[in-house]
Amino acid sequence: MKQWVKTKEFMVLVIVLTVIAIVSIGNPTAFLTTENIFDIIKSNLVLAIAAMGMLPIMLTGGIDVSVGALMGSASVLSAQFMINVTDNIPLAFVAGAISGIVLGSVNGFFVSKLKMPPIVATLGTMSVYQGMMSYITNGNWISNIPTNFVEFGKGYLFGIIPVQTFFLVAMAVLTWWILKYTFIGRGVFAIGGNTVSAERIGYNVQRIQFLLYAFSGFASGIAAVVRTSIFGQVDPKTFTGFELKVIGAVVVGGASVSGGYGSVMGTLFGVALMGLLENGMILLKIPTFWQKIMIGMIILFAVSIDFVRARRANAKQLKVDVA
Amino acid sequence: MEKNTFLHVRHISKTFPSVKALDNIEFVVKAGEVHALIGENGAGKSTLIKILAGVYEPDLGAEIEIEGSRIEKLNPITSVRHGISIIFQDFSLFPNLTVAENIAMGGALESGSAVVKWNQMREVAKKAVSKLGVDISVDVRLGTLSIAKQQLVAIARSLASQAKLIIMDEPTSALSKGEVELLFKIIRGLQADGIAVVFVSHKLEELFEVCETFTVLRDGKYIGTYPAAEMDNTKLISLMVGRNVEFERLSGKNIGETILEVKNLTKAGNFKDISFELHKGEILGITGLVGAGRTEVVQALFGLNKPDSGEIILNGAKVNINSPEEAVKLGLAFVPESRQTEGLVLRQSMRDNIVLPILSTLTKRSGLIDHGALGDEADKWIKEINVVPAVPDMLAGQFSGGNQQRIVIGKWLATHPKLLIIDEPTNGIDVGAKSEIHRLLRSLADQGMGIIMISSELPEVLALSDRILVMRRGRINGEFEGATADSESVMNKAFLADNKVG
Repeated sequence: MKQWVKTKEFMVLVIVLTVIAIVSIGNPTAFLTTENIFDIIKSNLVLAIAAMGMLPIMLTGGIDVSVGALMGSASVLSAQFMINVTDNIPLAFVAGAISGIVLGSVNGFFVSKLKMPPIVATLGTMSVYQGMMSYITNGNWISNIPTNFVEFGKGYLFGIIPVQTFFLVAMAVLTWWILKYTFIGRGVFAIGGNTVSAERIGYNVQRIQFLLYAFSGFASGIAAVVRTSIFGQVDPKTFTGFELKVIGAVVVGGASVSGGYGSVMGTLFGVALMGLLENGMILLKIPTFWQKIMIGMIILFAVSIDFVRARRANAKQLKVDVA
Repeated sequence: MEKNTFLHVRHISKTFPSVKALDNIEFVVKAGEVHALIGENGAGKSTLIKILAGVYEPDLGAEIEIEGSRIEKLNPITSVRHGISIIFQDFSLFPNLTVAENIAMGGALESGSAVVKWNQMREVAKKAVSKLGVDISVDVRLGTLSIAKQQLVAIARSLASQAKLIIMDEPTSALSKGEVELLFKIIRGLQADGIAVVFVSHKLEELFEVCETFTVLRDGKYIGTYPAAEMDNTKLISLMVGRNVEFERLSGKNIGETILEVKNLTKAGNFKDISFELHKGEILGITGLVGAGRTEVVQALFGLNKPDSGEIILNGAKVNINSPEEAVKLGLAFVPESRQTEGLVLRQSMRDNIVLPILSTLTKRSGLIDHGALGDEADKWIKEINVVPAVPDMLAGQFSGGNQQRIVIGKWLATHPKLLIIDEPTNGIDVGAKSEIHRLLRSLADQGMGIIMISSELPEVLALSDRILVMRRGRINGEFEGATADSESVMNKAFLADNKVG
């Protein structure tokens, strides 16, 4: 317990609770209601699911900026599949997942096999995926989603929990389990801590990297279909710039941009913080541009803590043993 | 009782593009012995242990035998399987993972299972830690432990991998006295269990405390293996320094007035009480072991490492140098050790490299670069430094090491420095080209420049310096006249504290 108090996760949790306190005081009638809380969860589910894919990548010190475009493509492809092939609901998710995995594997290929810097590789694929999406949709909304799927999206578990929550829980548990209990997951941490040593003790670094980008694609694909189920239609532009939110949530949630540190729980807190700020500012009637400024500042703050720590650690290492 | 031979390597050579780092080395380690591998900087110790770790591949003809059977090839993983475990100075551990994982992960990975069994890993780790007889929780993050404890974790990891030979690279460099004692106690315990330990270290006094056998390398060659009982500090040092490379002695002709005076320069954890003078036309050699604080001192002079206290007096006036820019304005120039990464833009032409520091002075009235003047200026310096081929358009990266060093020097000459600091001027340059760099430096000094040269190569220091400072653990441990210094007394000062010679 004492250990936990010192973690970045705990710090984020404290900030989350502070934000909740401030907003509840500012708007006591609207904020702390069951409805509003599930509303907040529902509107941040997609972000949280995508962040589960981003977290392992960032743990290795990598990054995937194609996530927004990839989600856009996966939602268009899965929507077309629902409309033209089958309105079977599980298969809709499978279609989203497969398109995500395929597109994510392309990222994985460039990063792991060709050893491209992840930001360059995914910046390139981002543009390709955006173009592909515009080609398929012509920039138009897809609104003829099968009605059974739209109805499914309006459902609740136990009459109160939005049905989409299931996917978040499943994805969070899966990511947590992979990171904690599989050698691939431990390899992710090892690579983030010391890549050369990870290779020397027998991790296949290339293979792990490839799988991570595919996994991020998988998470994004599921997130895309979840979003379609919430809104009942697909707007190809809606995911533009979404990668920043995803990366921001992971970083704000305590993950180190240079890799090695971070957790599923922290990332969920990060998403919560981003979501609460957004919701709280609306309830407190603060103009929306402040949200962007605030979120940007929080990301900068979170990252600068990291860099200050790294610099101190470095300065420590440069010591000469003076007689 | 005669011990069995655990490791026997023969005919180990390793050639890097411009240097032969190892030349026909033989090395024998017996089971359960504590064996010191010693030599000066650059003698080839690191290269040898990297070959045993499977990180480097030796040249053809190498023979490696472990427990009597011939090993065809070592890579980092098979090396561990054969029972060789190396603890590098940085330990190669994972600061972000728990102690248990750091210790047991390698073995767990070998099992080929996909799922992590935490309880099993913790058990393996606990067993390894308890074998060492120390109290370290296996559930804490490694990065939260002290360096000494991290090192013990590294040893525990070696034990968990069933190591029969543990090689430690400078294991005591970051430890306090008490921690060193504990380490030695643990090493004796390992020895009793039949595990061999090879110590790579510069601290001769400590080596005598634990080691039974010494193997000495010099200039990449095997000098011999000796029982500790037949050795003492003086004998070891003379084995390490007996040289076969000699350079022509180049003394200064006209040494003039003092240009630089350094008084009691101190920086915590870097260097302490550094005082010296440098004269016009003089080459001051600073030597000592790697890590003695030599580079840190000259970085302080060049505004790259701010000292805590002390004075720098340049041409009679006290100065405060806060940045390289200020240093250059005061007439200082600094050629760093890693010329390829810090001294040159390899993908630009020799011409562009040379004029880089004075680019702002080569402009037309409009503020744009005056390419005519730039070319003339570059040509002038290319002639001065005598680069062959003298093709200004050739990319810096295409020149040989010796010529690259000339280009870096030329680049700084263009700023008309009064004082040139040069760190390891001939590192990685072949022997012939070394003498030419020496002549170039001497001719610059004869023209009135003051030069501070850091070098680990004793023959170079002895050939070129008018005065020699020897640093040891952050302090100046000895000062010699270049003309009369001999290699053994210089090395004594580099290796041993003042009162412990002999």
